Amino acid sequence: MVKAALRNGYLLLFFIIFSFVLNEAVIIGNDFLAEAADTMLSGQQVPFSDFLMPLFWLTLIGTAAAYLKSISGRHYSAVVQKEVRTSLEEQLLKLPFSYFDEKGTGNIMNRLISDIEEMGRFFSEILPELLVNLVIVLTVTVYLIQMDVRLIMILFISYPIMLVAADRLSKKLAELAKKRRIHMDERTEKAYDAIQGIAVSRSYNLYSLHKQKIDTIIDKMVEQTCESTKISSLGWVLKNILTTIPVIGCYLFALYEIRQNRITVGEMLAFTVLLSRILYPIGDIVFCINDIREAGVSLKRIQEIYHQQKERTDGIFYQNLENSETVPAIQWQDITFCYPGSQENLVLNQLSFSVKTGEQIAFVGGSGEGKSTIFKLLCGFYEKNQGEYNLFGHAIEDWNLKAVRKCFSEVSQNVFLFPGTIRQNVACGKEHATEEEIITACKNANIHDFIIQLPKGYDTLVGERGVLLSGGQRQRISIARAFLKDAPILLFDEPTASVDIEAEQKIQDAIEKIAIGKTVITIAHRLSTIKNAHKIYVISKGKIAEIGNHQELLEKQGIYAEMYAKG
Amino acid sequence: MFRTFFRFMKLMGDRLPIYLGAILLSIIGDTSRRIANSYLIKNIVTAAQSGSIDMLPWLLFGNITAFVLGLLLWRFGIMRYNIEGRIGAGKVEKLVFSKAMRLPMSYYEKNHSSDFMSKLIFDTQRASDIYTSRFRRLFSAVLSTGIYLVPMIYFSWELTLCLIAVSLLSFLVNSLFIKPMKTAGRRLSDKNKCMLEKLTSILSGIELIKIFPIGFQLSEEYEAANQEYCSIQKKTNHLSAGLECLNCMFDLIGTLAFLGLGIWFVSLKRVSLGELTALYTLYGTFRNVFSEIGQYLPQMVNCVANVEKIFEFLDMEEEPKQWEYQTEEGIEKDSKKVEKDVVLSVRNISFGYQKEKRILEDFSMEIKRGSFTAIVGESGCGKSTLAKLLLGFYPLEKGTIIIEGKEYADLTLEEIRKLISYVPQEPYLYEATIGENISYGRYCAEQEEIIAAAKAAHAHEFIKKLPDGYDTMLGERGNTLSGGERQRIAIARAIIRNSPIILLDEATSALDNESELLVQEAMKQLKDGRTVLLIAHRPSSIAAADRVVRVGDNCNSDAGIIR
Repeated sequence: MVKAALRNGYLLLFFIIFSFVLNEAVIIGNDFLAEAADTMLSGQQVPFSDFLMPLFWLTLIGTAAAYLKSISGRHYSAVVQKEVRTSLEEQLLKLPFSYFDEKGTGNIMNRLISDIEEMGRFFSEILPELLVNLVIVLTVTVYLIQMDVRLIMILFISYPIMLVAADRLSKKLAELAKKRRIHMDERTEKAYDAIQGIAVSRSYNLYSLHKQKIDTIIDKMVEQTCESTKISSLGWVLKNILTTIPVIGCYLFALYEIRQNRITVGEMLAFTVLLSRILYPIGDIVFCINDIREAGVSLKRIQEIYHQQKERTDGIFYQNLENSETVPAIQWQDITFCYPGSQENLVLNQLSFSVKTGEQIAFVGGSGEGKSTIFKLLCGFYEKNQGEYNLFGHAIEDWNLKAVRKCFSEVSQNVFLFPGTIRQNVACGKEHATEEEIITACKNANIHDFIIQLPKGYDTLVGERGVLLSGGQRQRISIARAFLKDAPILLFDEPTASVDIEAEQKIQDAIEKIAIGKTVITIAHRLSTIKNAHKIYVISKGKIAEIGNHQELLEKQGIYAEMYAKG
Repeated sequence: MFRTFFRFMKLMGDRLPIYLGAILLSIIGDTSRRIANSYLIKNIVTAAQSGSIDMLPWLLFGNITAFVLGLLLWRFGIMRYNIEGRIGAGKVEKLVFSKAMRLPMSYYEKNHSSDFMSKLIFDTQRASDIYTSRFRRLFSAVLSTGIYLVPMIYFSWELTLCLIAVSLLSFLVNSLFIKPMKTAGRRLSDKNKCMLEKLTSILSGIELIKIFPIGFQLSEEYEAANQEYCSIQKKTNHLSAGLECLNCMFDLIGTLAFLGLGIWFVSLKRVSLGELTALYTLYGTFRNVFSEIGQYLPQMVNCVANVEKIFEFLDMEEEPKQWEYQTEEGIEKDSKKVEKDVVLSVRNISFGYQKEKRILEDFSMEIKRGSFTAIVGESGCGKSTLAKLLLGFYPLEKGTIIIEGKEYADLTLEEIRKLISYVPQEPYLYEATIGENISYGRYCAEQEEIIAAAKAAHAHEFIKKLPDGYDTMLGERGNTLSGGERQRIAIARAIIRNSPIILLDEATSALDNESELLVQEAMKQLKDGRTVLLIAHRPSSIAAADRVVRVGDNCNSDAGIIR
């Protein structure tokens, strides 16, 4: 972000130069008029023709400078924002999965969007305004110094007080603003909550309860605004008094100087006009501390994202993996893992297993026993703490993570479809997929017939603005995606969990087709879906409790048999 | 437009006079402060010119006092106004949010909640901007333009006329820019939305991006949108820079012409130098205020458009307290009598979401007190619709339902719902603690009652194991419960409610075998003294029922009952 701001610094420099030119034009124009006033007051005729040409030129230069100043400032803000947005997005893609997992994507999103907006405001409003005000104050100050140094001292006498006051007030205001934001989010959340659960809210007559909760939060927000209004009003009064008093002092001082015949009435006139120009900038410079502080919070948070540890990009791209029949596709030896931040809670505890190419295995076990974590480790979303993980005979540490992920296709119970057309959603399984490939994949996933009977076929929009697809249809689109990717290893995370029995059949059928010739690893609750697996691992407390095929496990009369009996 | 605006202002109710008074006060304070300032300068300059300072201290004292008073008045007015405006905005928010919870069920089924809520929140914010900024800005700009003119004309009417001419000219030029600026603004916000959408996709689909080669494509699209946004912005920049430079030109010309002309007037002795300076000081303010009218008027118009949307929403029909049915004539009261042990009697009801397509046709069933009835049928045959009708989410098209001996037509929806506890298919849990979620079944329930309900629902065991127990926060941030656990909490919520009938929509999705067993155990507990209606999907739960009712094509009354 800093780099983008500096790289385009030349635009900012133009901006400063042109605002200086503009300001100088005004000051010089003023000088002319002061001279004119003096000439006139001394009883002589004012030769207007002498003034006309220079004033014309001044106006012209001033207008041109105003245009250039404005455009360079605005371009600066546009370009910097664009570059920051780009690099931010690139950075996000490079972050490890654990970052998103820990912070929650919704959370990251809300913050990021408001932070980007705030950053935009900083570059388009706060920064230019501060600079313009600085330029105005500085040029006028220089002019005033030439007149009399003592004027400056009078003008800035109340500055220290103002700084302290502004600093104190802005801190308080920022705190209140933060609280208000929290309450605002809370209000929205509560309202969403009440409406998402409307069937329950209605049938349990919870309307007044929810209304009361939301109203209380709104009342709190109003209260906070009242408080911050009081504080900011105090700030305004202080700002006005503190900027006006020195100005009046200056006037009186100038009056005194005239009486001592040290300056002329014309000069005083020019002086008055100039003072009225810097009256507001002076106060604004100090009080924009508040804005800067607020923007600073967002800028810092954006910086934080840059400073996050990136996912590693080193390693080797191993190829021609399917032919390696002698080594197992996946081999785990005593893998131990716990999520960062909860060291005492071992999710996987010395877990070992191996899968041959073309073999179909399954993990079963209760919820929270670490089954999904196995998938996350397999795909390299997290790195194991201990043990050995070999993928096609090569240690995971030697692999490039991108290459690792090329080996896997995942079909999980939570299907995510990007806002876009169905075609795009399937096509993302493979770079540069042809139309034919897409249709074949959809046919294999038993979804083609459904898609073509939609009015817009493959161009139907899915997601928020598009059609509402049922869970089963979404699932089959995701299977088509996996077909297209054609990865050697398939991961199924309970793919039929959230669909009804009818849809389950179609999905099961599609799954059987896609699994031909692949290495398949399934996570399942519903034991009926994994009966055909070559090997079933029963996971309990991060360890493998039982191994065998369906028949063997039933004969063992252990956990699996018990689970099966219950189902 | 005006009607909408006035209606919106009326929403403030009793506080409207205070609000308007505060604005008026702030305008008076602000203008008098500035006028006092200009008089102060006039007095000093006059004193400098004439050399006599005898009266000056007194004059200055008067001016400064007036200035400070004006300042305080102004700020006090603004403060009061801000508070009143915020209270008004709060009122609007309350209206909108409570309305959002009172719409007929069909609305929620047709509209995605996050969709209409985000639009609603945006519109509400924009609309309340009228209270908290737009209205005052416009109003005070118009009013103070008038006020400033008085002393200005008093100082010199000829010069003031010239100044008005320049201001009008700049106003005209400014208004020429309004339309292209607006178009550009809309294009920018469209692109911005597009960019945000891409970013959202990247963030929420991060797992897929890591596995499938989509990251590249998405980031290309994002970059394209970003690039386009920037180039539109650059084009717009020329427009706004042009406007700014024109304004600056008017400012310079106005200032220089004014001073040149003014000095000439002074030499003609039409005005004094002091008056001229005072006039100039006021002119700066006047010009600002005047250009603000042009700036704020379109903003105000935009906000009123948002208000219109809010009113459209607020005027939408709500779910009534009671559905109105036409009394069917010719049917004897006697025929509506039910036997004592029948708690719920559904008689010949018909219903369809669309007029032509009926989902339920002439459907009847009788449920005995204390029975456990499973309702089965193909998916899409109207099982869930039947549940919705029982809960009064939709009005019946034909027929009647009699609950506890009373007809639905004679009961308010609240009364109906008090008699039925509903456990939906996907048990919704609120963002509150587990304990609170259970207590929603009966507000102000004691802790012991909550625990008892949880025990009955076989939820107590796992809740106890959670680090925070019953105080565990649920919802987005604490979404750690499995489907079966959530369901059992929902069942506990139904149990604590203690209503005579429990209506349970079984989850279609798979629970792991252990939870499934526990949920079924919990359902058995429900039977205890209550009437249970189960919309069933699973053979095992159907087997547990005393009686099975099939809903489907052409099924009527007893023909549908299998057992």
